[in-house]
Amino acid sequence: MPAHLSRRIPKLSAVQRDRLLVSVAVVVGLALIVLAVVYWAEPAKSLPSWLPGHEAGSDHHHVKHGIASFLLGVACLVFAWFRSAGPRPGRAAV
Amino acid sequence: MLGLLQGFSELFPISSLGHSVILPKLLGWDIHQNDSYFITFLVATHLATALVLLGFFWHDWVRIVRGLGRSLRDREIAPDDTDAKLGWLLVVGTIPAGLLGLLLEHKLRSVFASAQSAAFFLMVNGLLLFAAEALRRRAPQPESGDPDARVARRLSWRDAAGVGTLQATALVPGISRSGVTMGGGLLVGLSNEDAARFAFLLATPIIGAAAALKLPELFGSQGNGVRGPALVGALCAAVTAYLSVRFLMRFFETNRLTPFAAYCLAAGLACSLYFLAV
Repeated sequence: MPAHLSRRIPKLSAVQRDRLLVSVAVVVGLALIVLAVVYWAEPAKSLPSWLPGHEAGSDHHHVKHGIASFLLGVACLVFAWFRSAGPRPGRAAV
Repeated sequence: MLGLLQGFSELFPISSLGHSVILPKLLGWDIHQNDSYFITFLVATHLATALVLLGFFWHDWVRIVRGLGRSLRDREIAPDDTDAKLGWLLVVGTIPAGLLGLLLEHKLRSVFASAQSAAFFLMVNGLLLFAAEALRRRAPQPESGDPDARVARRLSWRDAAGVGTLQATALVPGISRSGVTMGGGLLVGLSNEDAARFAFLLATPIIGAAAALKLPELFGSQGNGVRGPALVGALCAAVTAYLSVRFLMRFFETNRLTPFAAYCLAAGLACSLYFLAV
């Protein structure tokens, strides 16, 4: 990045970066869990066309896509859970 | 016979799926790996293998689950809590393999369903095992102390994710899950004994989850007429899986992957030539 541009962007402190990371992980985690419910509840024909698994006219439920999405969502929430605990002296966080 | 073979080859680094594709073709059995009754049969044998692994490493799993609980409660992994570290290493290793397995299993099994391709990949498996022994970072040293703690201390998160991701290659018939995870363990600095232990611990949730996902097929209409043979197969698989894991944990205290690599290379080559000739 050019020097004159990087000077204009304020640098985030470590605490702010952590908070941002935790917020992103929580939002993404919840979104993935909602997506999992959509996969389980809706047949392939009713999924939005931009979503992997959409098939026009198919009544198949993408259970495995739902499980994959759910597990990733839970992983994001677990990451946020550990990360939001903050640093403790002499201890290693995940 | 398939049950005995499944329990034996699932844990030996020689690809159970590859053998269950190649053997029926060699013996002229009318079995195809994508047939619903064969898949239902495999579900039962996989479930038996997973239960045997869970039972064999029961004390380790109790410690690991307690460690996971402790770390979630405290929201940290204490540096001396090797049970918690090992538990999270297994989670990190299982996620990529689980995701890839869920998304790619059907496609890969359809593309590589033939016995010819399984024989070719059995040769590849042999080469991978040879390569893992040749490229390992250091010669195995006799180590003392708690093996779970050794694994937890030696592996990084990236190592666990890498070794776990390698498991997904076992979706291709002919490539062994335990083989690639043991090979991956060697490449990140584990001894043969510790690599085997980590591979078996990593295999338990994946094999168990894969079987649990397909349990409805076993107990649904698809399982009609297969449940009896599946139960017999599962019992045979349980016996051979127990004997296999017991033998392998002792074998890798002092031995390497090389004999299995030689077997895979020779068997894969012989079967490939045979299939080309007939």
